[in-house]
Amino acid sequence: MSEKILLIDDEEDFLSVMSERMEARDMEVATAASAKEGLAKVESGVYDVVILDLKMPEMDGLEALKKLKEKNPELEVILLTGQATVQQSVEAMKLGALDLLEKPANMDDLTEKIRDVKERKMIIATKKNEEKVKQILASKGW
Amino acid sequence: MSYQYEALGEEGLRFFGKVTASIAHEVKNVLAIINENSGLIEDQIFAASKGRPIDPERLGRVCQQFQKQINRADQITKNLSRFAHSVDQFKGDVDLTEMAQLITSLALRTASAKRLNLKVAETSTSAIVKGNPYLLQNLLWVSLLAAFAACENGSELTIFAQSRGETGSRLELRSTPAMDITQAAEILAGQKDLFSAANAKLVPDLHNSNLVIELE
Repeated sequence: MSEKILLIDDEEDFLSVMSERMEARDMEVATAASAKEGLAKVESGVYDVVILDLKMPEMDGLEALKKLKEKNPELEVILLTGQATVQQSVEAMKLGALDLLEKPANMDDLTEKIRDVKERKMIIATKKNEEKVKQILASKGW
Repeated sequence: MSYQYEALGEEGLRFFGKVTASIAHEVKNVLAIINENSGLIEDQIFAASKGRPIDPERLGRVCQQFQKQINRADQITKNLSRFAHSVDQFKGDVDLTEMAQLITSLALRTASAKRLNLKVAETSTSAIVKGNPYLLQNLLWVSLLAAFAACENGSELTIFAQSRGETGSRLELRSTPAMDITQAAEILAGQKDLFSAANAKLVPDLHNSNLVIELE
């Protein structure tokens, strides 16, 4: 099952080439050119990871991160930034970001992080199903 | 002279920091796009090594993207250079329209936070003042920030640089729809020292809700 990614960045040229490279790595990619558009997509779709630009017009990445986590605390968010200050890094982690990477990001590193998230989710889902099956069997006297 | 240096000190450093940080951010964005397009070529080469044909049309688009980003970076660097050279002279002739064009280029990203459309009006006659170029840029920068705060989202903000003949020149910031001129004036009231050092006067046009700066 492929990873579902939402890319949020106001640089359309960046969105276009990133999504193409990710799709070539068998990921399902949706894009949003603003934090507002990204938040609307999270309302209506399910994503494994959101990749979010830190510095955007109208609503910056930290504010968007806060709102994304309010909508879905389980959602994993990776922030991309041109230049992270220590303060921003600390704030991002406090708000629950998975990671804060500096642009230009290494695609292999990013892909690895995304795959780790997917794997963790699948392990958690498998464990939950195992528990459910155990309970069902126990209730039938197995 | 020392008074101008003081005015340049705190506010000037703040201005310097904001502008250079903004430029650095823009450059990083360009590098990120170039990096990803370079990676796309690597992906194509890897795919070709596995027997998949290279897509010449796709590579052509990558080359176009490289050119686009190179042109963009070139413009960013030109702006940075002009900004850097504004401290070459302590006092000199400053073409206000050229200055406004530079500062609006540097302020575009900040303006985009409120989807403002920023323009410099073309003029048939030059408006030239004798002053400290960096200080005057700083003055226009803080005036623009005040105007941004006072404008509605999506407004069109135009800067007019006009000569007042022997009495000097003026910069006028006009917004459509009109900005909240009292809000802008209140923000700029805190920049009295900067205005004094630049021999400038804030003369808000309350009737038309335009921000006017008169320069001697």
